[in-house]
Amino acid sequence: MQASAGSGNEALLLEARGITKYFGAVTALEGVDLKLSQGEVLGVVGDNGAGKSTLMKVLSGLFRPSEGEILIQGRPVHFHSPRDSHQAGIEMVYQDLALAGNMPIFENIYLGREPGRKVGGLTIVDHAQSRKLAAEHLNRLQIHVKSVDQNVEDLSGGQRQAVAIARATAFDAKVVIMDEPTAALAIKEVGKVLDLIKRLKDHGVGVILISHRMDDVFYVCDRVMAIFHGRNFAEAPLASTNRNEVIGWIMGTKGHASGLAHDKVH
Amino acid sequence: MKLKQLLLAACVVFISSGGAFSADKFAVIMGNNPSANQFWAKVEQGALEKGKELGIEVTALGSPGGEGDVAGQIALVEDQLTKGITGLAIAPADPAALVPTIEKALKQGVKVVYIDRPGELGGITYVGTDNEPAAALGGKYICDHVEKGSEVAILQGILAIVNGRARAKGSHDALAACGMNIVAEQTAEWDNAKGQAVTENILTAHPNLKALFASNDNMGMGAIEALKGAKMLDKVIVVGFDGNPEAAESILKGEMAISIAQRPFNMGAIGVESLAKLIKGETLPPVVDTGAEVVDKSNAEKYK
Amino acid sequence: MADKSHSTAAAPPHEFQRSLRSRLLEDYGILLVVVAMGAVLAVMQPEYFLSAQNLTNIVRQVGMNALLALGLYIVIVTAGIDLSVGSVMALSIMLLALSDKAGAPWPLVLLIGPAVGTFIGIINGLGLTLLKLPHPFIMTLGTLNAVRGICNLVTDGRPVSGISAEVRYLGIGDIPLPFGGEFAVIPVSAILLLVCYGGVAWFMKKVALGRHIFAVGGNPQAARVSGINVNGVLVFVYAASGFFAGLAALLMAGRTGSGYPNLGIGAELDAIAAVIIGGASFFGGRGTVLGVFAGVLVMGLLRNGLNLMNISAFWQQTLIGIIIIFAVWIDVLRRSSGVRT
Repeated sequence: MQASAGSGNEALLLEARGITKYFGAVTALEGVDLKLSQGEVLGVVGDNGAGKSTLMKVLSGLFRPSEGEILIQGRPVHFHSPRDSHQAGIEMVYQDLALAGNMPIFENIYLGREPGRKVGGLTIVDHAQSRKLAAEHLNRLQIHVKSVDQNVEDLSGGQRQAVAIARATAFDAKVVIMDEPTAALAIKEVGKVLDLIKRLKDHGVGVILISHRMDDVFYVCDRVMAIFHGRNFAEAPLASTNRNEVIGWIMGTKGHASGLAHDKVH
Repeated sequence: MKLKQLLLAACVVFISSGGAFSADKFAVIMGNNPSANQFWAKVEQGALEKGKELGIEVTALGSPGGEGDVAGQIALVEDQLTKGITGLAIAPADPAALVPTIEKALKQGVKVVYIDRPGELGGITYVGTDNEPAAALGGKYICDHVEKGSEVAILQGILAIVNGRARAKGSHDALAACGMNIVAEQTAEWDNAKGQAVTENILTAHPNLKALFASNDNMGMGAIEALKGAKMLDKVIVVGFDGNPEAAESILKGEMAISIAQRPFNMGAIGVESLAKLIKGETLPPVVDTGAEVVDKSNAEKYK
Repeated sequence: MADKSHSTAAAPPHEFQRSLRSRLLEDYGILLVVVAMGAVLAVMQPEYFLSAQNLTNIVRQVGMNALLALGLYIVIVTAGIDLSVGSVMALSIMLLALSDKAGAPWPLVLLIGPAVGTFIGIINGLGLTLLKLPHPFIMTLGTLNAVRGICNLVTDGRPVSGISAEVRYLGIGDIPLPFGGEFAVIPVSAILLLVCYGGVAWFMKKVALGRHIFAVGGNPQAARVSGINVNGVLVFVYAASGFFAGLAALLMAGRTGSGYPNLGIGAELDAIAAVIIGGASFFGGRGTVLGVFAGVLVMGLLRNGLNLMNISAFWQQTLIGIIIIFAVWIDVLRRSSGVRT
């Protein structure tokens, strides 16, 4: 096992091998592999129900895989809850954002991990410290808000997405998984979020981006992999593929789109 | 909250207590609201008329939560004490729970009598019906009108209240003494709708029922509805208790057989009169019986 | 892009401050209502309302509802409801009265009410989370009935009187002030309320678990994926509600010197009313301890004022009903106008 980790040309940040997930008689995933390096943005595409979200929930500890293993920097890990995956450095930004709208930005960023001192099993939260850390962190990611005291429900969709990403990266995350981060955004906000993803990459974070939007995938990703009917279908560095081919993968056709491109030759 | 506390404290500091008053003021604290129950409407009427007669300011009030609202009744008494009453006639919502409040009144020099039902604190005169023998009157009527060994049932009131227990016991003992077969003794909590529901269940289990004693007219009226529904009203004798106007109507219509009338008007009137006597320095016996009377077709008209 | 983001960063700061001010009004506006009611009563009943006797009476009279409302507030912040508090209070008062009668040492008797309450609260919480009943309304409607029934079974519907003085101290004790005459006292129950309200306010604001209660009310899914043990939080809030119901029972045991099984019939509705009048949202995630206290005072002052004016109890019910609707409507207006600005 160590040999395999060592034999990689670069240290793999995250590796999933042969992930299989059954829900009763239904097979949602079958032997799926996934690799992610440091500072890499991996696009994951597939049609609705192809198994993308299930795979991500396995990686973030919400589901336990029926078969297969997950390795972080070559070491196998077992997640029993989202808390375990947090501790291993994997963070997920959910499609429905998973923010508490009734609470201010800084509290959302540190929700469940509030800074403070422990007294007999209770944490006395240091709100001042939390505010300061949140402001610094938002600054680092160049996310601009009026005040960290603003309630999340008062923010625009893009700002919420930014807060959700800030929340995911507040604790030195190694891997950030994003599920359709731009789907609900106004067009002018999409660019900001994609730039934010690039900034994460610059900080050495590995990002897995699930998206239907080819524009997004081709703007930020280094590599793209397609899942079809719960299996690995195709995978390529971004430089060696094109939109039509990737769209073909989503629909389960290999070489069809490129075939179209080669029509002239025939 | 700190602010509010400060405000309260400030008020406590700067404003002295409400003063005493020369003229007598009586409060009649009832078991329920006069508009909820005709019984208490009569008590109120008696108290107010007697107050007018004696030239005493009388206020009659019931708890906001109705029958059994102890916390509300305590607050009522406290607020009346603030207003400087000199006499208190009270039907305790709970015999034990009102004791400290009544003690507080006594400590302030207020004269106290119980009306309708006694409380646990001793040394206070009870002005009301002696319930056990009164309930026995109802039992005796049943004994005289159905065959020995017949199936009979008792609808009990709230047993936490002394009167509930006294009427349950008085009726039970009378029926048992003449050899009736008491097939059901259940509480319907003084309530008309519950009286109906409980009676429906009793009729299901005991279709040969011959008579039913209801510890108040409300439950009795509910029982009559149940009997009408089961088309058994002609087979079962219903005896009520209180002599309410609606019970009187029912008796005149031939539905309810009899009711044992208390004299709620007397309770209010004699209650106020007794307080006036205490203030004059007279002593009272421990129980002032306001009387009970069998209401049947011959005299129901005057109870309407 | 950079320019744009800078312009948002430099957005006029007063805009946020205004929303802060409106939030202050939202949280504390109800206090103005309390002050206004006090002023009206002081004018209408000048001889009595501001007397020391009446003010201490008000404090004593609101005690039970104040403790029940405090517990319900914690539950309502999670978008939950606890209908069982009245019955829990009844069982608590009976068990503590019976054990006092049986000669249990008073420090133990003091613990019985809160312990019984906490126990039933935990059952409520477990029923909700383990049995996965669809709404806390169901579970607590169940315990509302079951616990009242058990209470009557245990006591056969009879009151128990003669509770010992030590046990009664919290409910009936007074600390005399050195001035102002016979009625110038601070009821011990007022100090208990102050400690409980202060404690809960601090807990909900400063302790992580308190913040998690707000998070569960705001978005349970967010709380779950943040690693918060949502079920644990829910069990805790129902336990807390039960605890305060038990404490309220102790207060009433002191006030009445007895245990009586009819205690608290319908009390849950008064407590819910106070919480809602105080500005907490039925949908969870919103509400302040100070607002709840103001809601309790609104109801207490209304009742006291109408009593002093010898106005029928039915008016109290009617007015409280109208105030509930009005308070929530004002809240709706405030929110929709807040969105517009």
